[in-house]
Amino acid sequence: MRLVDQFERGLDAPICLTWELTYACNLACAHCLSSSGRRDPRELSTVEAKAVVDELARMQVFYVNIGGGEPTVRPDFWELVDYATAHRVGVKFSTNGVRITPEVAARLAASDYVDVQISLDGATAEVNDAVRGVGSYATALRAMDNLHTAGMRGFKISVVCTRHNVDQLDAFKALADRLGGQLRLTRLRPSGRGADVWDELHLLPGQQRQLYDWLVEHGEGVLTGDSFFHLAAYGSALPGLNLCGAGRVVCLIDPVGDVYACPFAIHESFLAGNVRSPGGFGGVWRTSELFRSLREPQSAGACGSCGAYDACRGGCMAAKFFTGLPLDGPDPECVIGHGATALSTVDRHGAPRPAGDHSHTSGVRGGPVPVTIGRHPPEHACDESPLAGIGAGP
Amino acid sequence: MPAAEPTGFDLERRYALHPQVAVRPEPFGALLYHFGTRRLSFLKDPRLLEVVRRLADAPTAHAACTAAGVSEAELDRFARALATLAETDMLEVA
Amino acid sequence: MTDEPTPAVEPADTAGTVTDPAPAVEDDLLVEDVSIDGMCGVY
Repeated sequence: MRLVDQFERGLDAPICLTWELTYACNLACAHCLSSSGRRDPRELSTVEAKAVVDELARMQVFYVNIGGGEPTVRPDFWELVDYATAHRVGVKFSTNGVRITPEVAARLAASDYVDVQISLDGATAEVNDAVRGVGSYATALRAMDNLHTAGMRGFKISVVCTRHNVDQLDAFKALADRLGGQLRLTRLRPSGRGADVWDELHLLPGQQRQLYDWLVEHGEGVLTGDSFFHLAAYGSALPGLNLCGAGRVVCLIDPVGDVYACPFAIHESFLAGNVRSPGGFGGVWRTSELFRSLREPQSAGACGSCGAYDACRGGCMAAKFFTGLPLDGPDPECVIGHGATALSTVDRHGAPRPAGDHSHTSGVRGGPVPVTIGRHPPEHACDESPLAGIGAGP
Repeated sequence: MPAAEPTGFDLERRYALHPQVAVRPEPFGALLYHFGTRRLSFLKDPRLLEVVRRLADAPTAHAACTAAGVSEAELDRFARALATLAETDMLEVA
Repeated sequence: MTDEPTPAVEPADTAGTVTDPAPAVEDDLLVEDVSIDGMCGVY
C-alpha cells in the first residue's frame, strides 16, 4: 500500500495539529480563517489547556501549531508553551508580531523546541495593510527585525497568496533571506471571513500558474503547508504529502475545545466533538463519527474520469464546501477549469456560512472595514456587549 | 557482501538515533521526527523500526539488521533505507 | 528529546521524496521524508 493510501485511512493519533488558543485578536484581517476578534467566554481554562497537552503528549503528537486569533494575548500563553515543550510536544505559534519584543525574540532564539511564524500578506505596507489593517506591516517587520537581531534563524514568514500579492513573490523571498526567516506561502480558502472576500482576492487562473511556476523554479526552501496539492495537475507535485490530511493526520482544536477536521473547516459539518467530553481529545480523534467517515475511501464523484485526479485528489474540501460545491467534485480553483464551470451553476448565496463569528463588532483602529452584510446573527446575547472579549487584550 | 552503498554510510559501523529524534511506532512501520531539522521520516516496514531500535546496542548496523530478522538478500534494501536516514541526520555515527 | 543545547540547525531544503515516487521502484523505498510543514490543514 502506498504511504498516502495509508494516511488517508487515518492514524491512531495526529502527526501534528493546529490549536487555536483564543478568538481574541488585536487585528481584524479581512480574510481571517477563524473570524477572530472577540474572545469567546467559553475559552478553555489554563487547567483544561494543560490537560489537552497531557493528552497530546500521551498520543505522541510531535508538534502543535498554536494560533488563534492572536495567541500571545492570552495571559497564560508562555505558561502553556513551556508546558507543552516540557512534555515533549514541539510548538510553533502563529502571530501577527504584536508581542514579539526583543526579550521575547531572545527567548525564542534560545529554544530549539519553540518556533514562531509571523503572518504577512504583502511585501509592502500598501499591499499588506489593505488586508490586515493599518500598522500591521510595521508590527510584523518590527517583530522580524527583533528576531533577526536576537539571532533567531529560520523563523517562518507565512503569506496567504492573493490576487494582489502574487507579483511580490520575489520580494517576499528577498525579505525572508534578508531577515534570516523562511518563507511560507499558503492558499487562500473561502473560510471564516475569507468567505466574504474570496471572490475579490483568490488567485485568477493565470496567477495560479504563475505561483506554481515560481514554486517549481524558486521554491527550494519555501514551505507551503501542502496548500497547493490541487496544483499538482499542472505537472509534477510540489513537496509535501499532497493529500488532504483533515481528520486523518491533522485536525483543529479551537479555543472552546471544539475539534474540527481542519482550521479551514470551522463549521458544524466538520465538527468532530469537544475535548471537554469524557473521552477527551483522544476519544474524539479515535471515535468521532465524522473522522471515521473521512477515513473511509472518498468518492471521486465527478472527478473520477479526469486524468488529473490521481495528482490533485479533487482539491480542498473546505474550498468546495464554502463555495457551495459538492465535496465529490472539482475544487473551485481546479486548474483544468472544471471548478469554474461548476461555480457558474451553483447557488453561491446558498453556500454554507462559517460557524461562530467572533469578529470585532466595531472597527479596529486602522483595520479593514468589517463586512457586516451577510453575517449571520450572533450566537449569544453577550456577543453584543461592547465589553465582550475585553480584559486580556494588548 | 552487500552491493555498493551510497557514499558515507557503512553497514559495518555502529550508528545511533540522533538524540533530537522522536520515534512513534505505527502499524505500517514508524514515524520519526527530528526536532532540529524539522523533517518527518516514514519507515515503511516494521522491521526497519526494529533495526533502528537495535542500532545503538549492536556492534554494527549490519548486526542490527540481522538481529531484526533482515535476510542477506534484503540487506541491500535496508542499507539504502538506513543510508537515507543517515543523510537526513536521523541517524548519526555512534 | 534532550535537554542539551544544540546548535541552531537550518531546516533541510531538500524536497520531500514523498512527492515523486517512481512507480517501478516505489515498493523498494523503505524510507520517505517530508517537512513537518508538509501536511495540509495546519498553520
